[in-house]
Amino acid sequence: MAHFAKISEENKVLSILKIDNSNTVNSDGIEDESVGQQFLETNNDWPRHLWIQTSVNTLNNQHSGEGTPFRGNYAGIGFTWDSENELFWSEKPYASWVKNMTDVRWQSPIGDPPAFTAEQQSQNEADTHQWGYGWNESGQSWDLTDAKA
Amino acid sequence: MQKKVLSEQALYYGNVKMPEHWEIDRNDLAHHILHSNLTNKKLQFSKTLSKLNTYLIDFNNLENKIALVNKNAFGNIYNPNEISSPLLNIDPIDLKNSPDFTMLYGVKVKDCFVRIYYENNRHKGNSWDIELTDNKFIMFPSINMYVIFNNQKENLNFIQTITYEHI
Repeated sequence: MAHFAKISEENKVLSILKIDNSNTVNSDGIEDESVGQQFLETNNDWPRHLWIQTSVNTLNNQHSGEGTPFRGNYAGIGFTWDSENELFWSEKPYASWVKNMTDVRWQSPIGDPPAFTAEQQSQNEADTHQWGYGWNESGQSWDLTDAKA
Repeated sequence: MQKKVLSEQALYYGNVKMPEHWEIDRNDLAHHILHSNLTNKKLQFSKTLSKLNTYLIDFNNLENKIALVNKNAFGNIYNPNEISSPLLNIDPIDLKNSPDFTMLYGVKVKDCFVRIYYENNRHKGNSWDIELTDNKFIMFPSINMYVIFNNQKENLNFIQTITYEHI
């Protein structure tokens, strides 16, 4: 199956449709996105340039198997299509977060949360604690909390 | 002091902004509504109605996080100076199978407005008036009664109604 994101003129993803691969191959039997776009325009009453193919196997610019990642992320409703870089971006989680173009994901301005200490890790595994980091937007910091406290 | 909102009566409205050259063919919708009214038959499915419906489902999902599925669709024609009787799209004795939302779309309208009645705690009989213009939609909870006013002397007003279930 081939997956296509239906996007608005403002490049917001409205929905995802999957169509049979046979509807995306050209007369030479080669998969061609424009064939799928034409098929969707005809059958779904939405202009062809607003249908963008997306790969269910791509997340954070990594392919889940052996293949090549395609357009950064599998599109979801509310994602933004970056036509310049040909990438799908999830919704920005916090105002201060910035784009990590390598991994095609949002990142806090101070990076990812710190790793757990060995003690925290073992306590989580023993289920005596439930340590986790949450982003504090007003303090611009990663706050460590214990959900079991 | 903390606050918890238990329910909300929200109205959603705006213009249907289709991509350029893909606008809703309101003449086609008016034709189908007229045919349905003249023959007294259920409104026929049309590509235009499907386009409108898909737009409303897609954009409500995107912008309001409301997932909708269709319940019913019908079209009405209002005579010059006509005021409709109070309209209600739920069945009070069959709420389970009643719609959650009513959507009105201005197919061909002029000097038309909708009065939506609502309750606010112990204060009953409140109403809110909103103008319906060509290509504008108004969506509100189906539990709210409403009245449609055609406030001019010359033209018929064509209104498309679609009801939805919230899933």
